[in-house]
Amino acid sequence: MASQLLNVTRTLSKLSLNTKCRLGNTLIKLEQELAPQPLFSNPSRNTNFFNKLPAHDLWKGITSVSNAGKKRGRGKTVSKKNIKDLNRGQIIGVGKANIVWPGLTAPIIRGKEIVEQQQLPEDPERQKKLDALRDQMGTHRYAKLSPIERGWSGAKMPGRSIGPPDPIGEEVFTGFDSKVIELKTVFNMKGNFGRKRRVSATVVTGNQNGVAGFANGKGQEPKTALRKAKNRSGQKLMHIKIFRNHTVYHDFFTQFGATKIFVQQKPEGYGLVCHRAIKTICEVVGIKDLHAKVEGSTSVTHVMKAFFLGLIRQKSHEEIAESKGLHLVEFCKENGYFPTVLASPAKCRSPDEIKNDEILDFTQYCYDGRVVLKKKKHPPFYTKHKSYEIYLKKQEKLRNKEEVKMNLIAQYGEIRSFLTEKYPECRPYKEPKKEQAEEDSNT
Amino acid sequence: MSVFRHFSRKLVLNTFKSDIKLQINTHCSVCLRFLSYQPIHYDGKPDPGPVFIKKEVQTLLRTLTRVDLAKVFKKRRFGETQLQQPVYKFMTDEQLQEAYEEAKKKVDTFLQIPPVVAVRKPKDKVLSKDPALQGLDTSAFVFTDISYGVRDSERMILVRETDGTLREADWETRDRINQLYFPVAQRQIQTPKMFQDSNLEDLLKRGEYNFILDRACLQFDPNDPLYQKIVSITYQCVNDNNHFNELRSTRHFGSFVFFLAWNKLIDNLLLDIIESEHIEEAKALVELYSHIHQVKYESKENLQQIDEYIKNHASKKAALELAFQAYKNAAKRKGEVEEGIKRAHGLS
Repeated sequence: MASQLLNVTRTLSKLSLNTKCRLGNTLIKLEQELAPQPLFSNPSRNTNFFNKLPAHDLWKGITSVSNAGKKRGRGKTVSKKNIKDLNRGQIIGVGKANIVWPGLTAPIIRGKEIVEQQQLPEDPERQKKLDALRDQMGTHRYAKLSPIERGWSGAKMPGRSIGPPDPIGEEVFTGFDSKVIELKTVFNMKGNFGRKRRVSATVVTGNQNGVAGFANGKGQEPKTALRKAKNRSGQKLMHIKIFRNHTVYHDFFTQFGATKIFVQQKPEGYGLVCHRAIKTICEVVGIKDLHAKVEGSTSVTHVMKAFFLGLIRQKSHEEIAESKGLHLVEFCKENGYFPTVLASPAKCRSPDEIKNDEILDFTQYCYDGRVVLKKKKHPPFYTKHKSYEIYLKKQEKLRNKEEVKMNLIAQYGEIRSFLTEKYPECRPYKEPKKEQAEEDSNT
Repeated sequence: MSVFRHFSRKLVLNTFKSDIKLQINTHCSVCLRFLSYQPIHYDGKPDPGPVFIKKEVQTLLRTLTRVDLAKVFKKRRFGETQLQQPVYKFMTDEQLQEAYEEAKKKVDTFLQIPPVVAVRKPKDKVLSKDPALQGLDTSAFVFTDISYGVRDSERMILVRETDGTLREADWETRDRINQLYFPVAQRQIQTPKMFQDSNLEDLLKRGEYNFILDRACLQFDPNDPLYQKIVSITYQCVNDNNHFNELRSTRHFGSFVFFLAWNKLIDNLLLDIIESEHIEEAKALVELYSHIHQVKYESKENLQQIDEYIKNHASKKAALELAFQAYKNAAKRKGEVEEGIKRAHGLS
């Protein structure tokens, strides 16, 4: 214990400001006065990280990363937001005790008088200013995005809207909106420069009404890359057929590289149930209801390309009816399965002309004979337990509870029973409204 | 201080309450105006049933319904939260024709006209009086024959009152007990709140005629006085506002027209029909009128029969005559133009 204390005093002495005039003598005296040391002692080293280097090196070590280190990806937690420089705003000679030091903080001679060292009353403003300055440091935050502006993840760019492409001359992209699909750093090796870092952006733009395009742009900064990609995508627009202004014309299969997508047409109100990239594209194109299953690689660019390919290759109902030589008829449960003819060919084939092995199922025809693998859904494990059986039995008597509750509320304005009239004090507890509760607690 | 706050709060609440009361009062005045539609029951003098069920009357009513398949098979929601994905099929001409035939068969069930019958007579037959049983229990007993194969209207339902009388259950009790033992899907034991005067008025104002009539068909029997009240008020409202197209191609148009003809209110409808140049329907309407009120027209020709009705029985003579004359002129001109075209083509 004593030796440890000794070490501490030693280090303190080394750290003291006037390192030149050491306090060696006093230490020796101390040692002499101490009791003889025990036989076993913990080995200790008197040098460490903090006393080997001067202050500015220590400061640098904490607040910065070397260039080589940065390239290797070191020091990711080092950022300006974590650093507070407590020296900032402090002046030598000015401190908590408001003392006038002639020659340091005040002139030695003022007029014909010699300024004397003296203590002035404490300045309460000084500490406040320092605190304000320190609060500013390290608290820098990105402006929080509203949930509408937010992209797929936090404040990241993918999924975010970046406005319409810039107008070209007098041509303005009215009604267009662009969304970021991908934003990433890419590197390129150059003979004389070495690794060169750039930012690559993929953007889709569209007018939410069947015109859309996508493009890639690169730049030194994310901003330039996004601008380039956005403006290029405005130059690569294509027409996309939208069925009844809300969904795709028919189910289809589409593939790009290893990415395979099965897209299904869905009724109004279904929403976009698909990969987030497909959802973003749909929002830009103007498709509101669709189901898509991506199989294979989910690389965002590949998904995008595959989906666009599929959208472009859609056939209109007239084309399908014409190529098949048969009427295309819709049967909807909502209108009592009344046959609604969507498209008719110029000349309809007779039943004899239809081959035996011809695909007559519409979905099969659209998938080109492919079948979507639908895995069997197994019942959950707990359904085999005895306890689940008991649970079901107990629940059975409650099966109509919600409906009865609703009916009671509709009829009487409260939940009641046949005993309510006899015992009017027995009513279900109603949580008082917040304002009322506060008032009651006040009184 | 707190006491004062409490007091002021109460004061504020009370003033608010009085405001609400005032609103209710104003609302009631509106109700009174609305109730200027007097409910018209089929009181059974004479009984409308036999007239309504006649084959000729039924065909006339069907003609007047003006079946529009697009409207009959319009999209409806069947209580599901989500729409169903439609089924697409490739079809040859024959298959398509078959599908149409199949759909047309369904039209009859969709457009089955709710029966028009006289309002039911109250049931108050006392079977026996047993004063010895007086005070046996504090509530009445209802005895119901729940054997299968008996019609709801003929089922034996008896009540033993607390004073010992055994009597037939009145109609309200019968409806309740029948619904209890032999429930009709979606029918409620208590009358839905939408049929209360204030709510009904709001619905009529919004023009939800089909909703009211559909729900009334489901909830009540056609001989229920409440059903006839609701339906008659709705019909009068439709007739006054000339919202005939709301009911056309629905099952209710037949009984609506029958109601109008029975109460001699067909002038608005006839005007609407003549103005839209559906002269076949005008003829059918006039014929229906003659069937119900045993009116014999002197002439046999259609147009002259309409003319005769306007002259002798219509209450809005001037408007009808004007419209009919306009129709005649238009038809004449049309005929001339067609003849001219034919001549130009060298057909005659």
